[in-house]
Amino acid sequence: MHGPEGPSGSERTQPLPRGYRVGSWEVTEPIASGGWGTVYAGRPVGDGTGPTADREDVALKFLPTDGLAPRQARKVAETARREVEFGLRACHPRLIRLLGSLVLSDPGRPFLDGTIVLVMERAARSLRDLLGTDVDEAEGARLIVEICEGLAHLHRGGWVHGDLKPDNVLIMADGSAKLSDFGLVTELTDTRGTHGYGPPMGTFDYLPPERWKAPLGEHGVQVRPSVDIWALGIVIHEMFTSGASPFPGATPVSRAAAAQEYADGRAPLRMDNAVPPFWRALAADCLAPTHDARAAHTAESLLARIAARQDPEAEPADGAGQPPSGRKAPRPWAVLRGRARAALVALAVCGALAAGWAYAVRDGGSASPTGSRGPAATASAGATAGAAGRIRVFNTEPSCGDRGDRAPECSLGLAIDPLRPYTIDNVVPTRVWHGDVLAVDCQFPHGVPIVDEVGTWSAQWFRVRLPPGSARSTAWLPAVRTKDRPAIPQCPRPTPVR
Amino acid sequence: MSGIVVYLPQKSGVAGGGPCGDAVTLRLGPGEVARFGRGSATTFVELRLADEAISRLAGEIRVTDDHWQLSNHSATQSYVVENPEGAGEYLRVPPRRAGAPIPFEFSRVVLPTRHGTTVAFQVFAPDHVYMDPHEIGGPWGSRTVTAYSLDESATYFLVLVALCEPRLRDESAVAVPTTPQIVERLRPHAACGRLTARAVSSHIDYLAGEKMRISAPAGGEPGREGRRNGKREAIVGLALRFGLVREEHLALLPPRAGAGPRGRETVG
Repeated sequence: MHGPEGPSGSERTQPLPRGYRVGSWEVTEPIASGGWGTVYAGRPVGDGTGPTADREDVALKFLPTDGLAPRQARKVAETARREVEFGLRACHPRLIRLLGSLVLSDPGRPFLDGTIVLVMERAARSLRDLLGTDVDEAEGARLIVEICEGLAHLHRGGWVHGDLKPDNVLIMADGSAKLSDFGLVTELTDTRGTHGYGPPMGTFDYLPPERWKAPLGEHGVQVRPSVDIWALGIVIHEMFTSGASPFPGATPVSRAAAAQEYADGRAPLRMDNAVPPFWRALAADCLAPTHDARAAHTAESLLARIAARQDPEAEPADGAGQPPSGRKAPRPWAVLRGRARAALVALAVCGALAAGWAYAVRDGGSASPTGSRGPAATASAGATAGAAGRIRVFNTEPSCGDRGDRAPECSLGLAIDPLRPYTIDNVVPTRVWHGDVLAVDCQFPHGVPIVDEVGTWSAQWFRVRLPPGSARSTAWLPAVRTKDRPAIPQCPRPTPVR
Repeated sequence: MSGIVVYLPQKSGVAGGGPCGDAVTLRLGPGEVARFGRGSATTFVELRLADEAISRLAGEIRVTDDHWQLSNHSATQSYVVENPEGAGEYLRVPPRRAGAPIPFEFSRVVLPTRHGTTVAFQVFAPDHVYMDPHEIGGPWGSRTVTAYSLDESATYFLVLVALCEPRLRDESAVAVPTTPQIVERLRPHAACGRLTARAVSSHIDYLAGEKMRISAPAGGEPGREGRRNGKREAIVGLALRFGLVREEHLALLPPRAGAGPRGRETVG
């Protein structure tokens, strides 16, 4: 049930040798693994041009795509895209920083070739590990405040974490907590900013009861900030009970059933007496049985309640010199004030690191940069605006490369909208085959990233002309489907097609 | 955990269901109980089985975790729970057995009657949990999983794969197969030789309603045919988008006759 799983989860992939080079880092040891891949510790290696002492150790999250059918590889890429997209936009001292992403190109190790690697800030351990030890009330309170701060920042920005659990709360070397794992982060996309839609995934013990009855719509299940608040209620209870859920049962399935019984009004909420009264009341509000009842409690309002309780005198505190996570702080409120100042500084630092990262990766011989910063470099915007070029379709599938019979299984699709997921409802009826030459108007470097069958990753798309008589005059070919990189202008950002 | 569904089909005469012999559908959440039997003014039962050979309170069903338990209140009769998909798989619940766990997703509970006939009702347990692929071994409790579990050995899964087949094979312009096409496609399969069009429709309804809980597509064509097509399209679109059906599942289907790449026709 706990933290980093044993070696069984990584049997699917071979362990990486110590010292394996990734960009400008090398692998030191495995940290954790799951069905999605493995996280390794990494440390900076010198390239002879600069010092490494000022660069920090990192966590390297490997998402292998080898052996996956194109559709699954796309799913891995989609998860990575969510993390990268979120990581590039979000930056906060309570969120684990994404330092960059890259795709391994290592034909000598087929199991690694095409693997997507996310480079992240390195934590000491997870809250799951910490729950095994004794967490006293003061430390528990501090950690809950820090988790709330992370959630409040996410929710303010119109995001929902979607998978809050002790495994995804990381404890840094200085003892402070940061939220991590943004693969299920969902943007609140509706006009009033109350909900968005995410993949129908989650962790049994942390899913709110309404999720078990939630309908699956075209874009996934409805996700609202109250999802994170429910999970926070579970985490608060676990904090003071060595990781015990408030819901009885020996397995996650029976605990989920117990949560359902409670939400249906057939069983009361029975929390462990080890949870101090103030935190028990807070957790009970987070665990309100319906979304509507829970919506009254936001991460902000919970923070305000905690602050009010911790400092009834409301004495103006001087946070100067206070570390961002003063563990032994006599007055928690002072810590809160001090932290707000630290946040501003950290924000500036985040931006600098991200820029440095893009530079570092471009120099790292074995990797190609990805994400919104990278691919623009591969297609030089043409000086001769308006001049259309030609590109030849390339199919990486060897059995499709040299046959001229235009077999359906060798056909490739063209997207309607390069900004929407490349799925069956986003392709035009026109198919293309290896060797076809297409007229191209322009290129767009920041579409949905596409991984081809051999793991090449690119977010670049070409706007190509369709034959006369087609319902549309143009469609989009992913850059991974051609070897050509003609000097053509950059397309204007496509308007969403519905 | 959304619970279970109990369905007592409509029957005329001795084995009537509701007060007027209507079909009865009960939805039970975790921890809920439904009693069944002949019933009386003093013995209330949720599921009335109108046969004089059946006790007034013959037994009860209790939802536990992702499955359910059957208690047999009869002192003399054994009840049989059949798995309609299990090629004769069944279990016998002896007299006075309390809370026997029932492991089937689909069950048919059969009670004997005096004339050598039987009375039966069905229980569906759509919450059964399956681990995600590549998650074999090791603890899974704190892992992030797909919240929709499908039994890849069930007939409904074969129907789902057959529905998705044209798009999985990237014949993307092709429409979702019709019910007769599914029946035809699955006929060579050992478990589907006697699959009827009606059964295929029920499997599709079960997938859409109980397993994937698909919300009705907005603005669909009016009329029954339009709605039904909308539901199929939605099932296929979501199953592929969220990876419930993948390329590897095509191997579950019987080989296609004559539809393969050119050259196979001369062999077949």
